[in-house]
Amino acid sequence: MSADVGVTPPAPARPRLLHGLTDNPVILKELRGRMRGARAFVVMTIYLLLLGAFTALVYVAVAESTLTVGAQVNVGEIGRTLFTGVVGIEMMLVAFIAPAFTAGAISGEREHQTYDLLRTTLLAPSRLVLGKLLSALLYVLLLLLAAIPLQSIAFFFGGVAETEVILAFLILFMTALLFCTMGIYFSSRTKRTMSASVLTYSVASFITFGLPLILGSIVLVLGITSGGAVPSSSEALLVYLFGFLLCTNPAVTAVLTQYVLLNEHTLGFFSYTLSGGETIPLISPWIPFVLIYAGLTVLFFVLSVRRVRMIEN
Amino acid sequence: MTVGAGTAEEFIIETDNLVKTYGKLTAVNGVSLRVPRGAIYGFVGPNGAGKTTTMRILTTLITPTSGTATVAGYSVTQNPREVRRAIGYMPDFFGVYDDMKVWEYLDFFAACYEIPERERPALVNDLLALVDLSHRRDDMVEKLSRGMKQRLSLARTLAHDPEVLILDEPASGLDPRARIEIRELLVEMARMGKTIFFSSHILADVAEICTHLGIIESGQMVAQGTVSEIRQQLLPTREIIITLLNRTEEAKETLMKVEGVTGVTDLPTEQGRGRIRVDFSGSDEAVSQLLLALSSQSIPVVSFSEETRDLESVFMRATKGIVS
Repeated sequence: MSADVGVTPPAPARPRLLHGLTDNPVILKELRGRMRGARAFVVMTIYLLLLGAFTALVYVAVAESTLTVGAQVNVGEIGRTLFTGVVGIEMMLVAFIAPAFTAGAISGEREHQTYDLLRTTLLAPSRLVLGKLLSALLYVLLLLLAAIPLQSIAFFFGGVAETEVILAFLILFMTALLFCTMGIYFSSRTKRTMSASVLTYSVASFITFGLPLILGSIVLVLGITSGGAVPSSSEALLVYLFGFLLCTNPAVTAVLTQYVLLNEHTLGFFSYTLSGGETIPLISPWIPFVLIYAGLTVLFFVLSVRRVRMIEN
Repeated sequence: MTVGAGTAEEFIIETDNLVKTYGKLTAVNGVSLRVPRGAIYGFVGPNGAGKTTTMRILTTLITPTSGTATVAGYSVTQNPREVRRAIGYMPDFFGVYDDMKVWEYLDFFAACYEIPERERPALVNDLLALVDLSHRRDDMVEKLSRGMKQRLSLARTLAHDPEVLILDEPASGLDPRARIEIRELLVEMARMGKTIFFSSHILADVAEICTHLGIIESGQMVAQGTVSEIRQQLLPTREIIITLLNRTEEAKETLMKVEGVTGVTDLPTEQGRGRIRVDFSGSDEAVSQLLLALSSQSIPVVSFSEETRDLESVFMRATKGIVS
């Protein structure tokens, strides 16, 4: 026999943080299952290959165009485009992968006929949901960390600051967090993993693709109808409302945050001049985005726990 | 049986007029169960009689429409957590996780029952030894045979050392050998002081090991009590076969006069000896009166024996096959 991970030595004393993770039986079980066999590594490899291929493509495209078109090659521009491209692809992959990890969280237990077993144990519903969520997040986190070397290629060219890397990571993480929690929620509402997946993907793609489309058309319609003759008070209201809606989309938030960072040189407040000449204070989009996503995550989490706690009638 | 002396409550599972309806369908209709502490209680009834529904109420998985149920003194609706601590539940299906080893399966559920991590390795090994699966410790759960899965399931119910085991059809779908192994395990667990409440639709499974029996049909209890009580309750008449050298007619007349005799019938003669069957409803003392009556008349009795009817006929008589 080769040395097997399955052999349990008497448990050694662990640092407290790790103990908090292993203390939840669901996390331990999920991670053991997830990392066993080739699957986890195959997913990781495919993810990195895709990401790498896209990065190469973006690099070639940007390098070619700047070399042929521009007389002056702006190296920082290449770096920034590369970075934006990688983060954009990561966002799509996260939006695609995160729900897949949790859409089967509760409905899968029903399908495996283990749900009743769990419900007759002393395992609290909140710990079950938390365990499912954290184990999925840990894997997504692994994917995000694994992509950092690819993001860092941009540093060779300059034009990207550490704050942008950290902000990109934060936005990606919040997206993963909300989408994972939504997956669990729909999983707790449905009998079948299939329907949970469909629901989660529908909502996720509405947020990532549908919402920008709708917002775009609103902008167009408003642009045509308003014609510039709007009182400044209602224009301010419109800007706030529209800004709020923009902050519900991770990609839009990322792009706008970068824009604000580059043009207003701030991660916090800045002032915006209305068409009437008045200025109103605005906030960098990543802050409302994080707040909205954190709030929605808590909401879906609480709803999931309540659903799991319910004793059937 | 191992009835704990001085225990607070006599019955470890007690339900009162339990009703569970699903829309128009009444799955359980006024079931009042009394399971004494330390009993091996067989809960028997045809498929669809309401056994599983009753068990799911007792295991806090569903709430009753009306009526009350207590397990180990705790109400299943008001103190579900205490009830869960007191019971080990095995449903009529085996819940499998993919990607899980046998020891991990037990370790996981032990953790769900809040058993500290340092105690779990030893506990898992003990449980595996008890159900004779130590040699499959590192195998994947889904690779086990059905009988082994069932034994693993039983081990899981014991993880938190509960007082009561609630087992739904523990022997269904098993081959005869695995069936016997499960039966022996149940007896072993009763010896460990557990109360065992288990269901079956096959009375033969139940009869050999049970101390108590409850028969349910169409959501209602038909009979309940110790095995011999049930027998008496459902088959009030005893059958006594008497073989005589001669004077058969005279014997029949004598017997008809004894109190409690409801009928005397001739049986085919055997080697020239007369045989008669006496239907009789009475106690053991009264049985001896029968023999006394015959000998007082100097009627030559060759043999005198009571037919014991098996539980299968009790069952057939009790359940009329309303649920098909």
